[in-house]
Amino acid sequence: MDPALRAAATGMQAQQTRVEVISNNLANVNTTGFKRSRAHFEDLLYQTRQGAQAIDGADSETTGAVQIGRGTRLSAVQRVHNQGGVEQTGRALDLAIEGEGFFQVELPDGTIGYTRDGSLEISDQGTLVTSGGYTIVPGIAIPTDSAELTVSRTGVVSVSTVGDARPLEVGRLEMARFTNPSGLRAMGENLYTATGASGEPLLGFAQEGGFGRVLQGSLEGSNVEIVQEMVDMITAMRAYEINSKAVQSAEELSEIANSLVR
Amino acid sequence: MSARALRYWEQRQAAMSNNLANVETAGFKAERVFARLLADGDLVAVSQADHAEGSLTPTGRELDIALGGRGFLVVETPEGEERWIRGGALSLSPDGMLVDMGGRAVLGEAGPIVVPPGQIEITAAGELRVDGEPFDRLRLERPGDAEVVERRGANLWLPTGLKTPLGPDEIQVRQGHLEESNVDPVGSLVEMIEIQRAYTAIQRSMQTEDAMMQSIASEIGRIG
Repeated sequence: MDPALRAAATGMQAQQTRVEVISNNLANVNTTGFKRSRAHFEDLLYQTRQGAQAIDGADSETTGAVQIGRGTRLSAVQRVHNQGGVEQTGRALDLAIEGEGFFQVELPDGTIGYTRDGSLEISDQGTLVTSGGYTIVPGIAIPTDSAELTVSRTGVVSVSTVGDARPLEVGRLEMARFTNPSGLRAMGENLYTATGASGEPLLGFAQEGGFGRVLQGSLEGSNVEIVQEMVDMITAMRAYEINSKAVQSAEELSEIANSLVR
Repeated sequence: MSARALRYWEQRQAAMSNNLANVETAGFKAERVFARLLADGDLVAVSQADHAEGSLTPTGRELDIALGGRGFLVVETPEGEERWIRGGALSLSPDGMLVDMGGRAVLGEAGPIVVPPGQIEITAAGELRVDGEPFDRLRLERPGDAEVVERRGANLWLPTGLKTPLGPDEIQVRQGHLEESNVDPVGSLVEMIEIQRAYTAIQRSMQTEDAMMQSIASEIGRIG
C-alpha cells in the first residue's frame, strides 16, 4: 500500500486516541484527587529509499538518503501527578494532601491501594474508611463517644469526647510516596496500585521527607483544567481533519496514476 | 524522465503525510523533500530534516524538558548504543534513574543519571540540582556542521560521526516545557495542493507524449 496513505491513517488513529484521553480527563474534572493523563506520540521507523549515492559528474557529489516515514504511534499515556487545587469543605473528615504523598487503603484482596481522595468516613466498626468503604491502613479506631475529631498537618488524628474536651491521640496516618508516580496503575474509584514501573512505596509521615502535609477540612480537586483540555481537544480534532485530507490526497494521487493506463 | 518526476512527487507526498501524522508528536522535526537536477538532466529526490525549533508549551511538570537552540540530549538504548533525543517527557525509573519516554537512560557527564530524592531543578545550561545542590549535568551534543542526522523512529536520532559536545551557553534547557512538533499544518495543506497540481500536469504531459508517439507511428506509415 501507498506509504503516504498509511502514514496519514496512523495520524488519524493517534488523534482519535488523544481525543479519548482528553474526554476521560474532561469527564473527571470534578473528581476528587483525579490526575489528568496525556497522550504522547512518537514517529515510526523510517525506510531509507535511496542510500547516499555518488553522482557522476565533475565533482562527484553525494546526496543524502531519502528517509520515508511511516507515520506515528502512541508511545505512552502518561498520568500527570501535579497538585490539584485544594478546596475548603469545612467537613472534619475531609483531608487533602498538599505534596507527593498518598493515603494507604486495604483492598478486598488484602493488597494495599493508594489514594489521594481524602473524603473519609467512620465505618460501623468505628474505623476510618474512604468514601468507597476501603479501610485506611494502618487502621485508626475512632471511639464511639467522640465529639470532635482533629487531624494535624502531620497526620496525627485526635478526638475529644463529650465529657472530656482534651484531645486524645488515637493514631497517625501513614503515607506512601513513589519515585515514579506516573507508573502507578489506576484501578478506578480514585485508587492506584504499585507496579514495577512505579517502584516500591516509600512509607513515612506527613511533613517529613517530601510526603507533603495533610489539610483537614479540605479536599484536593481534580488537576484537570477545562480550558487546557478544550484547547487540546480542538488541536486534536484539527490534526485528525488534516490527516484525513492527507488520506484523501494520497488516494487522488493514486487515481491520477491509475488513469495513465488507458 | 517523466516517470522520475512522478516518483519525486510521490516521495514528497509520502514525506508530507508522515509530517502531518506527526503534527502532534512532541519534538518532531518536519522532513523536507526537494528535487535535485543532475548534470545529465536526471532528477533525484533528496530529503533533509528541518531542524527549526518548534514552539514551547509550558506544562508545569518538572521532568518535561524542551531544548532551545540546535542540539540534542543523549540517551542510551538497552543495547548500549547512544541515540539523540530532542528533550521530551522524562521520568524517573523505580530506582531513581532519569529515563526518557521509552525507558532509555538519559546520560549525564558521567553516564546514566541517578536523581537523589528531593526537588529537582534543571538549569538553562543543563545543570541538574536537587534541593539547590548541583549533582550532574545533562550531556548535550550537536552534529558537526553540514552533517546530516539520520532518523531512527521513536523520536530518536542517530548521532553523527562528527559530534560536538555543547558548552553551557550554547543551548537552553527549558524545564517544565515541551517542544511542539515543527510541522506547519497550513503550509502542508498548500503543499498538498501543489503536489496534486504538479502530479496532474506530469500525467497530462505523459498522455500527450503518448498520443504524439501514437500519431507519429501511424502517420509515418501513411506517407510512404
